[in-house]
Amino acid sequence: MKVDMKVDYYPGETGEFIKVDESKCVGCGDCAKFCTRDVWEQDGAIYRPVNLKQCVECGACWNVCDYDAVLFSEPKGGTGVRFSYG
Amino acid sequence: MNNIEYDVIVVGAGCAGPAAAKKAAELGLKVLLLEKSQVPGEKNVSGTCLNGAAILDPDLHYIVECPVERTIREMRTYHINEDRTTVFHEIPSEGILLLSVRRDHLDTWHTEEAKKAGAEVKLSTTVVDIIEEDDYIKGVITDSGEKYFGKVIIDAAGVNSIVGRKARLIPKRKGTNMILYVTVAVKLGEEVISERFGDCIEYYLSPGIQYKTWPWIFPKKDTVTVGTGGYMDENLITDEFPNVNKYMENFLNLPVVKKKLEGGEIVSWGLHLEYDEAIEKRVRNGLILTGEAGGFVIPFLGEGMPEAFFTGIYAAISAAEAIAAGDCSETKLSEKYEELIGDNFFMQAFRHIAAVNKESILSKTDEEITQMMQQVIMGGGFISNAIHTKWLKGVEEENMELLQEAYDFLELIQPYATVDPDFENLYKERGRK
Repeated sequence: MKVDMKVDYYPGETGEFIKVDESKCVGCGDCAKFCTRDVWEQDGAIYRPVNLKQCVECGACWNVCDYDAVLFSEPKGGTGVRFSYG
Repeated sequence: MNNIEYDVIVVGAGCAGPAAAKKAAELGLKVLLLEKSQVPGEKNVSGTCLNGAAILDPDLHYIVECPVERTIREMRTYHINEDRTTVFHEIPSEGILLLSVRRDHLDTWHTEEAKKAGAEVKLSTTVVDIIEEDDYIKGVITDSGEKYFGKVIIDAAGVNSIVGRKARLIPKRKGTNMILYVTVAVKLGEEVISERFGDCIEYYLSPGIQYKTWPWIFPKKDTVTVGTGGYMDENLITDEFPNVNKYMENFLNLPVVKKKLEGGEIVSWGLHLEYDEAIEKRVRNGLILTGEAGGFVIPFLGEGMPEAFFTGIYAAISAAEAIAAGDCSETKLSEKYEELIGDNFFMQAFRHIAAVNKESILSKTDEEITQMMQQVIMGGGFISNAIHTKWLKGVEEENMELLQEAYDFLELIQPYATVDPDFENLYKERGRK
């Protein structure tokens, strides 16, 4: 059986709830390494959460960043990932 | 903008939040419960088996009325390595061990219970900041800019709670303090699940299907939830395991698992972080952290929901006492909160079992652990390992203190050695009130 990442989202704009602090990012790539959803991509010397629409809000990137370069807030109320079967 | 004042504001309608809001409302307080998702439980991923031993606590008796997917009476543990597979099948007694649930159903039901008790509930409302004045947490600010003031704020917003982070109580965590795990719900249909799993949960241990954790399969009504993952240190993600889905893929493709899931379809995938140590400081002036926000979770043993219920209720009781005394300081709130947690046998016993097991699992390779668990004399369980690890070390080092500790713990967990029909009887009373 293949692992099918079947994920639903509420409709509506989440807002930019994950950002990179460009002045702090050293480009180590830990955010991308621990992201299961390929949200982060390298852009020159730093990483950016370019695929935020794929994010499931686990917070791994924020937790692993040693440089406080990941700014992690919350999607707007009633938007973002929607899990069923919890 | 309104400046509305409440006695208690609870942030998050997962397991801890509704428990706190319900209790606080029952104690006569003016309560607001805020939840970011449209439907409570739809932003949650967890093991979703409620421990009957915890629900036997009178504080949690009402939980037995929640929507239940399946009653769990048995446990199977598979230890698989190249040489052999051992299966340890436990049927502790005639009693129900666990209730398997769905978080979307459970948390929605629980939130309704809080509402019935008198709590005001606002869904689709994200808290983005706290209001802090003179070292007191006075309220919260939502994504629409609304400010809500409360005498006590109860943070029940999970592992990465923005409330706990803004209050500087929740730090960044990784390495051996944080587990990243992935779940899939596999739809098989009610009949097939009854046939292949029945009312039995399963744990697995085999190289390549986890990184120092315990994969599991929990049956629900028409799906089974499969989970695995690992500690977030530098070895979790490697060339061989580019992400946690690889552990899951290996797990799903173990011959024994593959056969059990044959014909099934993944209908939902989830990802979650779990903190593996209780946070040292969970209270500030006007603020109490509960459930996962307070680190009250033992991912290692798959325990967290009862701890969230308990701490939510204890936070509400502590808040009510503090408000009545006109003193919502950290000292006043902590005093009662710590006392109630300290008196909870379930929480203390499980934390002890987890600590000993974590120590042994982190010091060995997957192969060694599988072998060790195959050799545990009294069975394959975590409780047995907790006792045996200390006992064997005591014998080896001729250390009577370790032997005594192992013996004392064996005595301590006696109530759990067999499951008497108490919980079964409580469950039978469902819906009769």
